[in-house]
Amino acid sequence: VSERSFEGDQAELETIVDRLERGDVALEELARLYERGEELWRRLAAELEQTQGRIEELGRKLDADSADSQK
Amino acid sequence: MKVESTEVDSRKVFSVSSFNEGIALWLGKLPTVWVEGEVSELRRSERWGSVFLTLRDPASGACLPLQMPRGQFDGLRLELADGERVLAYGRPEFFQRRGSFHLRALTIERYGLGAHLLELERLKQRLAAEGLFAQERKRPLPRIPRLIGLVTGSDAAAKRDVLTAIAGRFPPATVLVAEAHVQGPRAASSVAAAIEALCERGVEVVVVARGGGSFDDLLPFSDERLVRAVAACPVPVVSAVGHEQDVCLVDLAADLRASTPSVAGRLVVPDLAELRAGLERSAVGLRRSAARVCSRHAERLARSAAALRSAPARELERRRDRLEATAGRLRALAPRATLERGYAIVHAEGAVVREPPASGSELEIEVARGAFGARAR
Repeated sequence: VSERSFEGDQAELETIVDRLERGDVALEELARLYERGEELWRRLAAELEQTQGRIEELGRKLDADSADSQK
Repeated sequence: MKVESTEVDSRKVFSVSSFNEGIALWLGKLPTVWVEGEVSELRRSERWGSVFLTLRDPASGACLPLQMPRGQFDGLRLELADGERVLAYGRPEFFQRRGSFHLRALTIERYGLGAHLLELERLKQRLAAEGLFAQERKRPLPRIPRLIGLVTGSDAAAKRDVLTAIAGRFPPATVLVAEAHVQGPRAASSVAAAIEALCERGVEVVVVARGGGSFDDLLPFSDERLVRAVAACPVPVVSAVGHEQDVCLVDLAADLRASTPSVAGRLVVPDLAELRAGLERSAVGLRRSAARVCSRHAERLARSAAALRSAPARELERRRDRLEATAGRLRALAPRATLERGYAIVHAEGAVVREPPASGSELEIEVARGAFGARAR
């Protein structure tokens, strides 16, 4: 079982895009690589969205706490 | 200078002022000396330029009037009381208007002060040699002390100054006040005991504050036991003893010396408002940088996604183009094979000739291995 990470997935996605852009891909592989790229993108986008959401929520909590302590 | 006299009935007669002038001149030649005696009839007023007192010999009761310019006298901060034994350094002076005589003092010190000072200096050298005052021993104060210890006199202005300064800068501070004798023979051991008691109660910093006073008043703050107690205190000590110019040995042993009790109060606590502002700035910075990291990743991902989506279509396009090009070449090969068999293609005016052309037309004949011109007849 390989330990997956955001950075690892991102690197894989970028390698796929590079290969596709260079055009050294066998036709049979094209669809498979593209599918893998889309899968990676979905995962990365979801993870990023989740992180962003958490940070915003923590920021709101921080605001509420400091408003409390100012009272 | 010569004192004027007149001859009256064959006697030499002086006027009062020339007599007094003569006495003043003669007295003025006497040297400056130290005189020891007891202070009595000390008179000082803001309205007078000089301070007056009488030096009394306790053995015989002999008296000597003494004057000293008030500014100089106040500068000594002796806080003398009647009956105290002093040494006055001065010279005799004659007050011509009244025909009275006094000692004009240049300085006054308490009897035994010289010995005290010498002893103090020796103690200072000895403790310094032990490294008690070394800069490396100074500890930093806690940034936000949970419990502050304060040693002062029972109703001292110093206490109020320290507490006011602390409350103004850091209202949530907790201060444990230990009252001690800050004057007299019991002062040194009382202050040392107060420091120890505060440490047992878990204070994180100790302030020792005492307002200004005479040399004698501040002497306990140079007592060896107290100086050692301050140096041995397990938590940092801030001293604010006397005025800025009085340096006692406790000041040297303390981790930090404050010029006044108010300054000591400000030194032991951080400024709450400033602390809040700093925290606020950190929060803003934290959010900004978190948002920046997120958006940088989002941009990078968006670029990858755009490239990913356009790549297969472009790749397919490239392959189609190659196929087309190959097909074109294939198609072009078909007529060329016919020419190889001896056929020719005739062009006139850029088009292939399919009907006999007009007589005299310029023709281009293409054969398998090149082309040549001809004219129709």
